[in-house]
Amino acid sequence: MVENRKYLGQFLLPLVVGAAYLFLYLPIFVLVLFSFNDASFSISWQGFSLRWYEKLINSPEILNALQASLIVALATTFLSLLIGTCFVVASRWGRTSFFSNLFYVNILLPEIVLAIGILSLFTFFRIPLGYGSLIAGHTLLGLGFVIPIVRARFVELDPVLTEASLDLGATYWVTFRKVIIPLLMPSLIASGLLVFTLSMDDFLISFFCSGPTVQTLAVYVYSMIRTGVDPMINAVSTCFLVISSLLVFLLCSLKVVDQVLTHE
Amino acid sequence: MKKALRAIFTQESSFVFSCPAVLWQFVFLYMPFAVLALYSVIDFNEVTGRYFLTAFYYREIFTSLYIQIIFRSFLLAAITAAVCFLIAYPVAYFLALKGSKRFKTFLLFSLIFPSWTSLIVQVYAWFFLLEKNGFISWFLQWTHIISPSFHLLNNYFTIVLGMVSCFLPFMILPIYAVLEKMDKRFLEASADLGADRFETFRRVVFPMSLPGVYAGIMLVFIPSFGEFAIPTLLGGSKYVFWGSVIVDKFLRSRSWRLGAALAIIGIMLPILLMCCVYLGRAIRERYRQRQSKEYTEYLNANKDLWG
Repeated sequence: MVENRKYLGQFLLPLVVGAAYLFLYLPIFVLVLFSFNDASFSISWQGFSLRWYEKLINSPEILNALQASLIVALATTFLSLLIGTCFVVASRWGRTSFFSNLFYVNILLPEIVLAIGILSLFTFFRIPLGYGSLIAGHTLLGLGFVIPIVRARFVELDPVLTEASLDLGATYWVTFRKVIIPLLMPSLIASGLLVFTLSMDDFLISFFCSGPTVQTLAVYVYSMIRTGVDPMINAVSTCFLVISSLLVFLLCSLKVVDQVLTHE
Repeated sequence: MKKALRAIFTQESSFVFSCPAVLWQFVFLYMPFAVLALYSVIDFNEVTGRYFLTAFYYREIFTSLYIQIIFRSFLLAAITAAVCFLIAYPVAYFLALKGSKRFKTFLLFSLIFPSWTSLIVQVYAWFFLLEKNGFISWFLQWTHIISPSFHLLNNYFTIVLGMVSCFLPFMILPIYAVLEKMDKRFLEASADLGADRFETFRRVVFPMSLPGVYAGIMLVFIPSFGEFAIPTLLGGSKYVFWGSVIVDKFLRSRSWRLGAALAIIGIMLPILLMCCVYLGRAIRERYRQRQSKEYTEYLNANKDLWG
């Protein structure tokens, strides 16, 4: 019996872990593989080719969608970092820290609720949908991530540092810029990367709030999938995967993941 | 005037700087809820040209198929969370307590990576794999396990499969974080006190990892309750869930008032659930406190017994 249990721990556990990773990676692997397939139908392997990527680069719709996605993602990252950091720092110095509990809702609620909320707000006040509504929605999501992450780092900082800076005659602004920002940098980079990917990848808010004029990449891919399998979708997806793997790699090399994980 | 503004700015700078975020939150999150709530209870009478208060849409939901759809989504989310938990726990346990240090970083990296790509890409990957001409169909036909007319897509199992693969990392990471932080000396203490590994797991490791499990369940349950893309792409139009009904009401059939009522009910459900969890924890805490109090009283009453 004891032997059995030992056997279980040594053999079964890695097996389960391996199976779980296979489960996560098999679809992605096949997807990437077949994006290099030289055939219009996915079923069989016809040799290596880059023709879907060529088609991708020459498609104006995809480039437009990519541009829209990038604009929204950059604006969202900038806005949520700016507003979020100001909030974290100011609410610690002052008496508004009560409000920081408000922001957990953004992650906890189903995303679809945020999406229809913004859709109905903009329609209720007759404001046309477009970049404005997209950035509003994504920043809402972004705040939900930026504030806890930056806050986790900020409460760890030694208050002596800020006090010393203030004692030495620096104003609040200089202290903020020269002492607090450099100390917060890892968490700022981490949450910035997180928000950027979140906004690039986001589907639901983009789907509801983009309006007729703007189309982000994720929504474009969705509408392509609805019309059926096309190796070009594999190529777009592979690009998505490459971008996000670069970002995750960057994040892991900064060693912030472990920090964030073990402090929250 | 300028002076007064300046004074406000310097004295209340903490307030001024925390304002944008709070304002953003109110304008784009709480105000929309108010608008949705308004939409769901106010209707327009075309004959008299007046707006009037009504509970019609809520009644409609509770007396028709919609309530069944909500429960179905609830069930799907519960199944997803349960399956995720069953797969995630061994993986998190392995990552936190078994793997070597270098290997662990790699495993953690490759765990985060799939969840960092777009959900749409992940769903499409499964779609591509399971499709009629896809890789798995081909393989299963080649080994004569299924007949060529058998479809792997568009069934409940596929929906759960897609959900689990998309949300699995969100279950693994919180459990991993808790297990990683756990003081490993507890394991030694438990072993010293004579517990075997199974006993240690059952009575030490698992109870201590419960906060991570709760967090993971929340992180999986809530998004999978509102999920729209996975059931639509992998389940076809045969399976209708809360998310897909809302999309339909808002974007296709344009019956916004019904959609708003559905959304409000859908918001209430996770909140209620969280309240239940919170309440349960509070009651347990109270119970524990009373137990320990009784125990102290017992010790005090029987002081002479112990000398």
